[in-house]
Amino acid sequence: MRFHFPIFAFPPEAEALRAEVRAFVADELAAGRWKKGGDFASSYDPAFSRRLGARGWLGMTWPKRYGGHERSMLERLVVTEELLAASAPVAAHWIGDRQSGPLLLRYGSEAQRAEFLPRLARGEVFFSIGMSEPDSGSDLASVRTRATKVDGGWTISGRKVWTTFAHRNHYAIVLARTGDAGAQRHAGLSQYIVDLKSPQVKARPILNMAGQEEFNEVVFDDAFVPDDRLVGEPGNGWTQVTSELAFERSGPERYLSSIRLVEAALACAKSKPTPRVREALGRMSAKLMALRTMSLAVAAQLQNGEAPNLEASLIKDLGNAFEREQIAVFRALGSELPGRSDDYLSSLAQATLYSPSWTLRGGTREILRGIVARGLGLR
Amino acid sequence: MSLAPVLAADALVEEAASRAFSGLAEKWFAGRITREDLLAAVEQLGFADASPTSDGEGWLAAAAIIRAQARAAAPIDMALLLVTGERAAAIAYDPCAYACAAGARAPASPAALAALSLGRCLQIGAAMGAALELSIRYVQDRRQFGRALAQFQAIQHSLALAAEEVAAFSAITDLALACAAREGIASKRLPALLDAAALVAGQAVNVVYDMTHQVHGAIGFTQEYALHRHSLDLLRWRDHLHLARGGDIGCAERLGDAALEAGSAWRAVTASMTPGDSP
Ligand SMILES: Cc1cc2nc3c(=O)[nH]c(=O)nc-3n(C[C@H](O)[C@H](O)[C@H](O)COP(=O)(O)OP(=O)(O)OC[C@H]3O[C@@H](n4cnc5c(N)ncnc54)[C@H](O)[C@@H]3O)c2cc1C
Repeated sequence: MRFHFPIFAFPPEAEALRAEVRAFVADELAAGRWKKGGDFASSYDPAFSRRLGARGWLGMTWPKRYGGHERSMLERLVVTEELLAASAPVAAHWIGDRQSGPLLLRYGSEAQRAEFLPRLARGEVFFSIGMSEPDSGSDLASVRTRATKVDGGWTISGRKVWTTFAHRNHYAIVLARTGDAGAQRHAGLSQYIVDLKSPQVKARPILNMAGQEEFNEVVFDDAFVPDDRLVGEPGNGWTQVTSELAFERSGPERYLSSIRLVEAALACAKSKPTPRVREALGRMSAKLMALRTMSLAVAAQLQNGEAPNLEASLIKDLGNAFEREQIAVFRALGSELPGRSDDYLSSLAQATLYSPSWTLRGGTREILRGIVARGLGLR
Repeated sequence: MSLAPVLAADALVEEAASRAFSGLAEKWFAGRITREDLLAAVEQLGFADASPTSDGEGWLAAAAIIRAQARAAAPIDMALLLVTGERAAAIAYDPCAYACAAGARAPASPAALAALSLGRCLQIGAAMGAALELSIRYVQDRRQFGRALAQFQAIQHSLALAAEEVAAFSAITDLALACAAREGIASKRLPALLDAAALVAGQAVNVVYDMTHQVHGAIGFTQEYALHRHSLDLLRWRDHLHLARGGDIGCAERLGDAALEAGSAWRAVTASMTPGDSP
């Protein structure tokens, strides 16, 4: 096999944790603290994030000395998948918990870890990803935002786009050019922790197709960044960015974006399910099991210190196709659902409108397939 | 904390299985293969430190052998041998005839059905893997428009799609295999996992059959080139898997009913993937 997904089972303590998360979610819903919302990147609720932090469900795998909880990747997966399956409002903390925190843990200085990780784990500060630019999307190595060395730090100039929640988050990890690109085009890039509230940084929301303010244009106008906000080595940005990929691409957010629609349809159909509804639910369950098995394997490989980037890309491409397929299937079944609920109709609208973004954000379908093809030795 | 996978690394197991299989083949042809032979293979496969009499170890060994055999496109039907102790008739692709031949030996007990399904899944996975490997080699060698086909992005993406399906199907098959290895072939959890595997097989076979032939051009549509053997294998085995389990719609409806009963597709999926208490 070119790609290998070893089989892991959740340890018993992880299953106990699952019960805890489900009880917590049920309490939250019963208390009306939030309504089931969009996906991991759209329902923003800092108070909810802080409640998760208080329970020890952010920064779960990080060392205790940085405010983490030293639990396994598999336990973290239990929490993230249960929150997504419940369509909980996770957007505020999602990026920091998933990738900025792990990035700092791996490449950040001792001072950076001590300053940011405990606050991330408490759900007090939120991070954005500042990678894409107007002229640099899939071809990320071509970014033109520049960081110039000055006394005591760096000044950053340029423009980022599609920076999710930059208008509400506290910091962004910005990828900037600091030197020559070199023959491979991957040299001369560096990453910085940039304060989004700084006066030389302006985030302007860009209304998305669903009518929401989520992503932004962010302009850096000679924004000063002190030396101690450089992440890792100058010029090592590309290696650092690619180290985030397995975290970014293999998680349940890559196949659960339409789960609310499926569950809403099921709830409508429950009293009188037609054969076609039963069949559709079964087909979707089968694929979900396969995807979940693969995602679990990658979480375990990450736990063991491996970097299964290829496998992660493969999961994201398959998962995105799967979550899109459910929209077509469960829309068509609408006429077989007695008493189509508001939940069904609104999740159908939400999933339909957001679905184009699923196969773009975090690596487009075409880029992912190229990575898989490289894994096959075809390029 | 370090985690050890439930199944040993595929490559190692398969390499060892190829060796174990070469010893078994002779006995097979003589019609003399026993449980002791299988257990000897278990030992050779390096599972000996675990209890060699447990069903689970036997299943892991059998799985490795089935995979190795199917990848080598060996002209025998080891899965049925391992499962029912009988030799299957070698029939070229004919859904009806194959179904009748297979139907005559339709397993009565749930455990036998599970065993047969698992064997079929392993064979299908191996045949898909072999078809994919053949395709990868072919597009690297074959040149058109002055370059290897592999350099065309459309070709790369076609095979990437096929590879993704193979990976998904292998994952769900391995999940079922791990369940059989741990909880035994009569595990109550196994049928749902096998229904899922049968459904994933349905889509994977479609994509792999489509893409591997497409990238081969006309040569793949001949009897002299090897691709057709893998294709016929995976078509027959898929049909038998689906028929044995009452059709793929039947598999889907059962899983759908589990979701309805749980009141949530997510809950049904997590429950079916959670190992049981009994070993
Ligand atoms: C909802 C949403 C949120 C986002 N959030 C963030 C964020 O927080 N931070 C951030 O940095 N970015 C974010 N992004 C940006 C995202 O990473 C980019 O959209 C993505 O990398 C693609 O870049 P692009 O949009 O410029 O498209 P392009 O790169 O211009 O691509 C357009 C199309 O061409 C295809 N294409 C490009 N190159 C090739 C090639 N070599 N071969 C074949 N096809 C190709 C692409 O696959 C795509 O289909 C977000 C995007 C969305 C939609």
